[in-house]
Amino acid sequence: MDRRIVVTGVGMVTPLGVGVEENWQRMCKSESGVDYITLFDASHFPTNIAGEIKNFDFKRYYPHNQRVEFTGRNTQFAILAADIAFKDAGLDSVKIDPRRFGIYLGSGEGKQDFFNFVEIIGKSYDGTSVSSAKFLELGLEKFHPYMEIEQEPNMAAGHLAEIFGARGPNTNCLTACAASSQSLGEAAEIIRTGKADIMISGGTHSMIHPLGVTGFNLLTAISTRNDEPQKASRPFDRQRDGFIIGEGAGILILEELEHALNRGARIYGEMAGYGTTADAYRLTDAHPEGRGAIAAMRMALDKAGLVPGDIDYINAHGTSTVVNDRVETLAIKKVFEENAYNIPISSIKSMLGHLIAAAGAVELIVCLLAMRDGIVPPTINYENPDPNCDLDYVPNTARKKEVNVALSNSFGFGGQNVSLIIKKYK
Amino acid sequence: MERKVVITGLGVVSPLGIGKEVFWDGLSKGRSGIAPVTLFDPGDFPVKIAGEIDNFDPKQFIQQRKSLKVMARDIQLAVAAAQLGVSDAGIDFETIDPTRLGTSLGTSLISMSIDELSPSVQNSLDENADFSIQKWGAEGMNMLFPLWMLQYLPNMPACHISIRYNTQGPNNTITSACAASTQAIGEAFKVIQRGDADMMIAGGTDSKVNPLNYLRYYFSKCLSVNNTRDPQKVSRPFDKERDGFVIGEGAGIVILEEYEHAKKRGAKIYSELAGYGAASDAAGVYGDNYNVNGLIYSMKNVLEDAECNHDDIDYISVNGLSTQIADKIETEAIKNVFNEHAYSIPMSSIKSMIGHLGASSGVVQLVAAALSLENNIVLPTINYETKDSDCDLDYVPNTPREKECRSALLNSFGLGGQIASLIIKKI
Repeated sequence: MDRRIVVTGVGMVTPLGVGVEENWQRMCKSESGVDYITLFDASHFPTNIAGEIKNFDFKRYYPHNQRVEFTGRNTQFAILAADIAFKDAGLDSVKIDPRRFGIYLGSGEGKQDFFNFVEIIGKSYDGTSVSSAKFLELGLEKFHPYMEIEQEPNMAAGHLAEIFGARGPNTNCLTACAASSQSLGEAAEIIRTGKADIMISGGTHSMIHPLGVTGFNLLTAISTRNDEPQKASRPFDRQRDGFIIGEGAGILILEELEHALNRGARIYGEMAGYGTTADAYRLTDAHPEGRGAIAAMRMALDKAGLVPGDIDYINAHGTSTVVNDRVETLAIKKVFEENAYNIPISSIKSMLGHLIAAAGAVELIVCLLAMRDGIVPPTINYENPDPNCDLDYVPNTARKKEVNVALSNSFGFGGQNVSLIIKKYK
Repeated sequence: MERKVVITGLGVVSPLGIGKEVFWDGLSKGRSGIAPVTLFDPGDFPVKIAGEIDNFDPKQFIQQRKSLKVMARDIQLAVAAAQLGVSDAGIDFETIDPTRLGTSLGTSLISMSIDELSPSVQNSLDENADFSIQKWGAEGMNMLFPLWMLQYLPNMPACHISIRYNTQGPNNTITSACAASTQAIGEAFKVIQRGDADMMIAGGTDSKVNPLNYLRYYFSKCLSVNNTRDPQKVSRPFDKERDGFVIGEGAGIVILEEYEHAKKRGAKIYSELAGYGAASDAAGVYGDNYNVNGLIYSMKNVLEDAECNHDDIDYISVNGLSTQIADKIETEAIKNVFNEHAYSIPMSSIKSMIGHLGASSGVVQLVAAALSLENNIVLPTINYETKDSDCDLDYVPNTPREKECRSALLNSFGLGGQIASLIIKKI
């Protein structure tokens, strides 16, 4: 008999706050977490706005453990979100078999020591090129050893294992914006195949650093609506002009059903379906007909044993780029046919910005909360209908609606597509 | 019934050469691919050697200049290994359903080129020659080309391969440092087993032979800084005088395929991929502390997954890092798992010959192990000269050995604490 996987704990840290309920309430009130960048002086960049977690003081929330002092914001967000989720699941008072307890994150890279990096490059210039010998010499002097080591994307998962004593499967995937959805899908498979009973899974990322903003600005992928930060992320609106970089973490506790029932855990919902595909089209553009996205949604439905009419809510990838929102709409219409117009669809990226690797996990938590409270969150900043995007995006205000089954989409830069389906545990 | 997964293609780009033939030739003769660094000038830096790939010409594998422009060396190596693997597997893409074909790669943080950033930095200096972030934002950054960032995203190797071979099935990129490609292969194996694909292009790539990564690895205190020894003798896993690992670079690809699918198209089958195990030592975040339990769990997990007993394993391709602590812990873990049987299993570390290939070390070990099974030869651990009482197993010192190999177990573990093991078996 197939093992079933349920969610028994959730934790998130986003531009709208630290903790699940605060985030959820603010999303239901259509608040935006987007504002001017304060993490560095971005005033002369083409884009100087982002969804930052303002005044983030890790030590205030998490005073123990010296080994996290030099970690990047990504790892700190992950530790905090995992701590919230772990307690939410009531696992802090449960004895867990460490070998059956794993970690699977979709974490981005750690914080680049940018200002030291560019200073060293500048000082290593010998008039014609950068002297590697000089770069190495200055690097030894200037770089902080642990800050360098912490940049590898696997470090957050390593720290979580150490903090929570998880000695089961431990991994990290980094499939751009699909990463944390993919991590959740694969973590559920690890439990399903009997290799673990509990997995801490989800994602964490911060690309609000000079090279992150540089990279996205060069690609012209992000919005330059600098004069109206809170209105800049506007998925499905005709005036959308790119996404907004956000940062944060979403962590879920996935647990084998019997394991959860035996300890009397509260169950948020069941992980019902996981679809993963590739566009195999272009590095920078989605397939124009949404080939991979369609296949991912169909695969998730198929795995869940559901039909399109069973889906009550879709949490869209909805990045607020011209292409994504058009192609995603097209793909949803192809999969759901006439039902597409009856399903509320929203993008919380309108409020948080795009949490990149962490986006999917936060969005799946929001699906669980929508299911719990019978409320679907809005797509804010929806003002001008786009004839290419003609579905029900829950414009601007949250809506009461019973949700028994929800689908969440995440599409990664480079063509990775992931769809997850959760349903009420019955 | 569970679907059986087999290996039907091998591609490798390594410090011992490009392609499985030259790779095997070097390994089975106990050759070292370690030499002084040539890709950059290390100056007075304490580490001056590397396992570099000699004569790698990316244009041989990537004809389009536009594509090459967005590929860092890690990506180039991956695409080259994929081409070798796909061609070895003799795949006729006309007859393959692209939606049943996937990609799973293990990669790492790809180092940005400091030469490429330099003009931007020069254009961002103020009148006092100090870096100005305002100038960077207004002018400096524009010296970079629009697709600059694409060279460095860890998922790009898998995306290039996916586009090139039209793999529309599951696509994942694992970034668990030195265990990455082993985990990527383990996951690809599970994807086929559970029926989500019939064929996966799996493996990994890494090139850490650049100044930024020399600094990062040096900071981990795991690198050898021995400059008095002959470079070819520095990597010496399990030898009492071992003093750290040597950075190597390379990529490996294995074509994994569902058994019936492979039989139907008459593919050459190297071996069955029979098991995957993963764990965490929950202690090794900075490489300064290992807990033996993680490695024990990983090997126990893989033995259970492959339904193997201790005496079913004929050879172990060890992680064998060549640091004091890692080799001692791995020996201890193997003894714990295999008990007295540990002494009768030959095991070797190919890192003694090629150095540590980071994210791709596991897949390159797997390619070597698959060839060991094919040739019934276990590879040596070279530079084994002085016995360490803490490491008292059979490391196949210095010379290869003929031995009937029905199966092999492979270990990978690394900085950050991720551990993974695989088992392959003859069909």
